[in-house]
Amino acid sequence: MTKAKQIAIYGKGGIGKSTTTSNLSAALSDLGYSVMQVGCDPKNDSTTTLRKGKTIPTVLDTIRNKTGKLDNIVYEGYNGIHCVEAGGPEPGVGCAGRGIIAAIELLDSNGIIDDYDPDIIIYDVLGDVVCGGFAMPIRKGVAQQVYTVTSSDYMAIYAANNLFKGILKYSNKGGALLGGVIGNSIKNSTQEAMITDFTQQTDSEVISFVPRSPTVTRCELDGVTTIEGAPDSAQADVYRELAERVIKNENKLKPRPFYGDDLSEWASVWINKLLLNEKVERDNIQADGSGI
Amino acid sequence: MAENYEKIRDEIFNLDQTIDPKIDSQEEHSVEAPRYGCALAGVYGTVLGLKNAVPILHSGAGCGVGNLFGTLYAGGESCGVNEGGTATPCSCLVEEHVILGGEEKLDNLIDSTIKLFNSNFYVVISGCVPSLIGDDVDSVVENYQSEHPIIHVNAPGFKAHSLEGYNLFWDAVIESDLLEQQPVEKGTINILGVVPYNHVFWKGDLYELKKLFASIGVKANVIFADGDGLQNIRDIPKAEYNIVLNPWVGVRAAERLHEKFGTPFITFPGIPVGAKQTSSLLYRVAEKLSLDPDTVNTFITQKEEWFYRFAEYPGDALILARPNQYFAVVADSAYAISYTKFLTNEIGYLPDIVQITDNPPVEVRQKIIDEINNSLESTIKPDIVFEADTYKIRNNLNNRPFAFLLSSSLEQPTALEEWGACHVSASFPIYGSSVLVNHYGGYYGGLTLLEDVVTTFVGPL
Repeated sequence: MTKAKQIAIYGKGGIGKSTTTSNLSAALSDLGYSVMQVGCDPKNDSTTTLRKGKTIPTVLDTIRNKTGKLDNIVYEGYNGIHCVEAGGPEPGVGCAGRGIIAAIELLDSNGIIDDYDPDIIIYDVLGDVVCGGFAMPIRKGVAQQVYTVTSSDYMAIYAANNLFKGILKYSNKGGALLGGVIGNSIKNSTQEAMITDFTQQTDSEVISFVPRSPTVTRCELDGVTTIEGAPDSAQADVYRELAERVIKNENKLKPRPFYGDDLSEWASVWINKLLLNEKVERDNIQADGSGI
Repeated sequence: MAENYEKIRDEIFNLDQTIDPKIDSQEEHSVEAPRYGCALAGVYGTVLGLKNAVPILHSGAGCGVGNLFGTLYAGGESCGVNEGGTATPCSCLVEEHVILGGEEKLDNLIDSTIKLFNSNFYVVISGCVPSLIGDDVDSVVENYQSEHPIIHVNAPGFKAHSLEGYNLFWDAVIESDLLEQQPVEKGTINILGVVPYNHVFWKGDLYELKKLFASIGVKANVIFADGDGLQNIRDIPKAEYNIVLNPWVGVRAAERLHEKFGTPFITFPGIPVGAKQTSSLLYRVAEKLSLDPDTVNTFITQKEEWFYRFAEYPGDALILARPNQYFAVVADSAYAISYTKFLTNEIGYLPDIVQITDNPPVEVRQKIIDEINNSLESTIKPDIVFEADTYKIRNNLNNRPFAFLLSSSLEQPTALEEWGACHVSASFPIYGSSVLVNHYGGYYGGLTLLEDVVTTFVGPL
């Protein structure tokens, strides 16, 4: 097995995992590291912004097409980043979880990772840790560190909390531990405070906040990462800083997730603060009700 | 080595923990060599019991081959005939189908099965893999239903054991369009609760029951091992009564048939063995169907005279050589009840321990205990244990007075050495003998059991 730094990035669907991951890969690559990004999502769209918006054949396509050839699995992306997509079944069919397991086993047992010998491997894993298959990258021998991308949206934090439960499950069996939380789509300080409080409550840690930015959306529409499409933007600097922190980060945290109704009780206080905050912004009134 | 093994096993399986047989379902614990298979095994055996029915396994390849050994050979060394064993169509699912779904492969398999077998009834049986990954098997099967009688039974192995598999088969049949309301035919009954292969003597027992009922003017649809399977199934709604010969297996089917077609049903605790039980069943059915009592009485009197005359022939062996012996029974609930009653009430032997191996639902267990205790014409009542684990079953037989053991062929080789008991292979699994027409049901079958019991200790020269 490779000696590369291997990290897995989880988070609720649509929260910006792939965007963050691709920008992180691009930034790491710019720093001179050899990077492999493995998309672990049946939608196989993790690496598209590294490849000018184009999708690539997936590991599981080799199973689907019965060719058994794994020669054309790794595709070169921005700045020589090695792009791999695990792939999976059509929506509503088969078992995507088993797909992730099979794809990672195929990559590993065929020496594909060793052949490319990257410095860093990043697994971009979909949504919730719904079953054993999606926990595969956390298990012993795959990633060493897990990051979760979350916004201040309750359901995103809920998914992060579930991930913590998954990490805890494997934590005594040599599985990956938590590297940190990446706060995404941040618009104001209350959102930052909410995510920070969540990490404090759960013995975890924020590694970085990524502000919401139209630059990201524009670059995505152009099929490129912010690092590639808007290298001089402030947002690109944010991703570069994230990359520096990830490289230096040696965190191996054992999170203490919320159980039962504790999470919703904790969140309701923060949701009220956020709503009030929005109202203040929208109606231009002060918290005590007086106008400006 | 042996001592060490037992110690390790006790630790692994927490044998020191007391398990209450009335409330504990054995499936919550590890079970060594259980006397049943999985849900798929039960449905598979049941379908193979129907002549011309073709099972189509939607599962891994091992499910079919495993059940050739675990269900068919275990059911009196049968091969499952034309559609059984290695001839059974199977989608042989592998990792590709786990990930990408197995519907397309099943579709091709059904198509080719219909072309190759050219039969009149097909049953797709889904095992663990399609159930876990959520294959929409119903929609695949539906595409063929306008042209062919074909149904789907969802029977993932993990869902239940094989006797419950029989129930799952009936759930699917009753929900399907195969059964249609039709005028009730007076004097007809269906026999439910006899599970092909798991009730090892099913073929002979059903043959015997059909003849017995015919003698009192009742047309019994025994469904399995008799005539065309599909036609038998289609005839089910015609019956005046459904007769369940089991304390729990087949009861749900009878209830659902009652709901759907209004067919009333009675349950009898097992396949009747010997004169007393058989006469009792015939009287009950005759009463329910309002048959002419004189005809029924005449037949029963004649059969009982014949039975007791013949039962006297081994009298010296029973009364001089082995009088009033203790016996032990290890069998599923239906066989266990019938054997225990027969040996106690007809031969005058003493029930020592009855171990019930089919893990019946917790709510029927007290009824099974009562059925045995209340029907024994003996002051000696047996210990009744619900146990599916072969290791524990054998332990439970240690240090007991019984001289006869009716159980599976698993105990046969060592019964004399370990427990000093004469052994009769009388319950699932029976690997040690070929069972075609041999049976212990009815008057004739009761005498056969008597023969087999006596044969264990007479001779050899």
